[in-house]
Amino acid sequence: MLSHATTRDWLIPYADGMLAVDERRRIDGHIAGCASCAAELREVRELNLLLVTLPPAPPIAFAPFWLNLQAVLPQRRALRMPRIQPYRRLGIAFAMAATAVLVAAGSAFAAPAALPDNPLYPVKQLEEGVRLSLAPANERLTIQLQLANERLREAQAMASNHKPRLAEDSLRAFRVVVNDAAAGLKNSADPKVAKDALHKLHLKLDAVERENASRGDDDQQVKQLVEDANDELDRIEQEDAVEAPPTLVIGEQSTPRPTPQPTARPTPRPTPSDDEHHH
Amino acid sequence: MAQSEEVPSSEGDAEERRLIDRSAAGDQEAFRQLVLRYHRLVINVAFRALGEVALAEDVAQDVFIKVYKSLPTYRHDKPFKHWLHRVAANTVTDSLRRRRPVVSLDGLEQPLVSAGSDPQDVAARHDLQRAVRHAIASLPPHYRDTIALQAFGELSYDEIAKALDIPLGTVMSRLNGAKRLLRERLGDLVRPAEEANTA
Repeated sequence: MLSHATTRDWLIPYADGMLAVDERRRIDGHIAGCASCAAELREVRELNLLLVTLPPAPPIAFAPFWLNLQAVLPQRRALRMPRIQPYRRLGIAFAMAATAVLVAAGSAFAAPAALPDNPLYPVKQLEEGVRLSLAPANERLTIQLQLANERLREAQAMASNHKPRLAEDSLRAFRVVVNDAAAGLKNSADPKVAKDALHKLHLKLDAVERENASRGDDDQQVKQLVEDANDELDRIEQEDAVEAPPTLVIGEQSTPRPTPQPTARPTPRPTPSDDEHHH
Repeated sequence: MAQSEEVPSSEGDAEERRLIDRSAAGDQEAFRQLVLRYHRLVINVAFRALGEVALAEDVAQDVFIKVYKSLPTYRHDKPFKHWLHRVAANTVTDSLRRRRPVVSLDGLEQPLVSAGSDPQDVAARHDLQRAVRHAIASLPPHYRDTIALQAFGELSYDEIAKALDIPLGTVMSRLNGAKRLLRERLGDLVRPAEEANTA
């Protein structure tokens, strides 16, 4: 028969149905003859009842919830300057020092060709950000396409150098640039130029994936990101195609995209163990 | 305590992975679809913790903003839902801790399990739920975060272990400790009616 102290230790997992059959029987045996533990078990069950009866929220409309959320979402901040990994912090510190030296010397040089594994890469990102923000509207698309091409050049180089994580970062940053450029591409004065630009980006994406596959890493995340980026370019191109004709179509309505429906999954019941004891 | 909301199938997993990667790249339409899948889950967690619709919506928005900011670091090495639960539980318990208890536990001497619609019963039940929430908020962090996933997130022991990246035995140990403290702090509120009346 279990001791009083051991039974008390196991009452909570017992009430939660977390004990195996033989353990439950042993607890049952003790409780049958121990009024104190039986009373404690009733308290545990009362507490459980309180916890599980905290009510769910009443129905809340999604559209206003999303509109409020969208209004305060940060504007793709982390992605123009992808994840700063611990080993790159040293690079950033070095880059900041280098920037100070360069500025002091009045030099315009700022590592325009630096790759993501180069300590000067953060300087390049800063320089690109400044360049884009200062660009006149009519040059913005050109610069965005240059940056998109540059991200793919970096991704290919990183895949070639067996650095798939950095290749992934460049591909994510590519998606951000392309997303930003989508409106410009859609409204381009010369649709053929926009189409050619998208075609070239497709070719470069394919080159990234070829490099990824041929270097023995064949990183699945890189592969997936390349596929997603190709899909993104297709989507932009299709939007161009749909929106290009300036003629007014009367009598047609847009069709909303179908919403994916989730499916239920049973909750697993683990076997108990107790490998840590807090107070 | 099975969680039946918005759980993707294996096909859904692949689609969800794409949505996550696209959201991490700044695609707000993809993020909208992720939010559509999980907003109900997050709002429920927040409402169970806070008990007010407007506040739950605000905190749910905070949760999704944190998720959006952190998505570029998400590595698919654990289910997105578990990761989301962890962010949600942390955010709601932080919010709960910042709010001071409105109801004194001393004023709640009668245990209540009735689900009747008598206005006095309803008011007493709300007060009791509020007392439970604040008792949870007052727990030490490792207990609080674990029981928040059970009480507010309705996760099983196994799901809590995955969400927190801790062994199952640790979950049992923490829930044990958390519920012992809750019983101490809630006192007569968790004593069955006949025992409380004779005490």
